[in-house]
Amino acid sequence: MTGGEDGVPEKPRQTMSPGEAENPFDIWLKRGLHQLFDDVANEPIPEELLRLIEDDRSEQK
Amino acid sequence: MTSFHDQVIQILPKLRVQALSLTRNRSAAEDLVQDAVCNALAAQDSFIPGTNFSAWMHRILRNRFISDLRKRRETTDIEDVPASSFASNATHEDSLALKDLSLALSRLPADQREALVMVVVQGMSYEALAEATGCAVGTAKSRVFRARRQLEAWMTGDLPANDKLRIKVAALRSTLDDRRRKGLKSDDLFSF
Repeated sequence: MTGGEDGVPEKPRQTMSPGEAENPFDIWLKRGLHQLFDDVANEPIPEELLRLIEDDRSEQK
Repeated sequence: MTSFHDQVIQILPKLRVQALSLTRNRSAAEDLVQDAVCNALAAQDSFIPGTNFSAWMHRILRNRFISDLRKRRETTDIEDVPASSFASNATHEDSLALKDLSLALSRLPADQREALVMVVVQGMSYEALAEATGCAVGTAKSRVFRARRQLEAWMTGDLPANDKLRIKVAALRSTLDDRRRKGLKSDDLFSF
């Protein structure tokens, strides 16, 4: 609807009533937020942080 | 039953998203996650097995952010999300739209930005958001609603003519268009 072909959001064009389930702006916003935040969640966890957790796990045993 | 440490590892991606939504800066977000994990490990005896680990962990990160903010009294205005988040195949106009969104997000209050991201990106329920941020469900709903409404107003142009954000966005666009016409790169414009 408002998304680009590559999942990249286009500019929102219009607004709908706040209660509208398929509000175009909400769809666009969701795509945009995923574009901005998804790769952060998917990046590998730094080894240092994993080591910190594993070291604590060993100490607790 | 999943061990405490396994639960910490499993929730790390979500903590990173929460941290980035609060700090708006990748490096600061990484530091915040690490600090929150240290706090959680130090306080693991206070976690009651079988209770909501996710909410407990998100609250620790949030409290750490607030605590750090109070100590530093610093409002980070660095916006390093776009540079590494934009899809490489995004068109010029699409990138601009994302940069506009990123800029608008940075103008939201941190609690609204956090609420919006946790609900929209993480798929968190209002009830879970309320528990994770230590507020009433009504407050959680209100934060998400106000964030959406504010962003919609900014992004669709439903704003007073003297609005600072729109002026800034308009100025950026004008500069970008000017640079594009001259064949100059524009990446450095967004490294503020």
